Amino acid sequence: MQDLTDNSLMLKVKKGDLDKLGLLYERHKNKLFGFFYNLGNNPSVSEDLVQNVFVRMLQYRSSFSGNGAFGAWMFRMARNVNYDYHKKAAKTEVSSSSSNIEIRDPMNDELNEGIETEGNNALLRRAMAQLSEEKRELLILTKYKGLKFSELAEIIGCSEGAAKVRVHRALKELRGIFLELEIG
Amino acid sequence: MDKETFEIMVMDYLAGEMTVSDKDMFDTLLKENPEYQKTYLDLEASWHSIQKLNSPEPSKKMDDSFFNMLSKEVEKNQANTSKNIVDEWFGWFRPQFALGALLLLIGLGLGYFLSPKEEASTENNVVDIETEEVRQKLVLTLLEQPSANQRLQGVGEANKIAKVDEIVIKALLKTLNSDTNVNVRLAAVESLTNYVDNPLVRQGLVQAIPNQESPIMQITLANLMVALQEKASIEPFKQLLKEQELDTTVKKKIKNSIESII
Repeated sequence: MQDLTDNSLMLKVKKGDLDKLGLLYERHKNKLFGFFYNLGNNPSVSEDLVQNVFVRMLQYRSSFSGNGAFGAWMFRMARNVNYDYHKKAAKTEVSSSSSNIEIRDPMNDELNEGIETEGNNALLRRAMAQLSEEKRELLILTKYKGLKFSELAEIIGCSEGAAKVRVHRALKELRGIFLELEIG
Repeated sequence: MDKETFEIMVMDYLAGEMTVSDKDMFDTLLKENPEYQKTYLDLEASWHSIQKLNSPEPSKKMDDSFFNMLSKEVEKNQANTSKNIVDEWFGWFRPQFALGALLLLIGLGLGYFLSPKEEASTENNVVDIETEEVRQKLVLTLLEQPSANQRLQGVGEANKIAKVDEIVIKALLKTLNSDTNVNVRLAAVESLTNYVDNPLVRQGLVQAIPNQESPIMQITLANLMVALQEKASIEPFKQLLKEQELDTTVKKKIKNSIESII
């Protein structure tokens, strides 16, 4: 079973057994897609970004030491991919992520949800869009089960305590924006 | 309690990263401080709505392009690995390899021109003759053994002798005529077929025909005689046909063989 952990699979990829990346892809593709999508990218861009993360994993596989959690390493890479994409998109005047959030039709996104929940989701997305990119990213990362605060801290490059405080404050800000939008 | 400590505690509580005792302590704190409780409840609602935030499923196109990319990388990696091995090998050994090859060629050339050819070939001949003699003795000894396996081994050794002498041929013919084991007799026939140009062998094979009682031996010899077109075998076959106990299939085979030889 030890051979099947994310870390051991990535170490095998590092040693040249590239096929094992397929297993990691199957395990994490939905998480990564959700990460990019919830950050405000449209589905097609989110899919491209997922692909870019795995391309980067292959490119930088030698930098994986196996000491930290694979999830932290992966999301750190995902953040960089997202950042690079938007930097490039801004230069070429491609529509920004925040505008995507606002124009996206919630009805297409949450087909299985009740109408009330759909409304809340749409409102929540609008509130999220008004947060700074850093805070939005932080809150999206807390969604992923298995990612502890210590790993979240590793991803964003701060202490565990600081990560908790930052998430707490981002949540509080989101709550404020959400209520304003609800009243308005 | 300062603000930051409370914020950290809330996050631990929400993320389920709190120990049971800390959790109890936090519950008490909330009960005793309505203001903390309100802050907590507000955050809890936001926390849960984020956890419930869902996203659509990625399309199959994403899988296709990923696996295309991966298979290309795997191919590229394999090509690089084999190229690296070759490069490494030649990179390390190129000067040594060239020098080694040159020295080998010089050595071979010198060895070829300086070797005392005739003496060596004479020595080799002597060794070959000695080996043949030893092998012939071995054959004779093995054919005398009580174990059928060893006798079979003796016949096998006889096959390795390039030029057999009369003693070995006689020993093989004796085996063909009198060995108790049919497998040994069959092996002896097979061995003797290597020397059918020798009249002694052909004569011995013909003479062995009436001595055979095993149907398989009778058929083998009939086939051999047909192949050799040995007319001298017709008479012994005719004698064999007169025997009452002869198997009907064998009888038919011998009749056909006689017709083929005539």
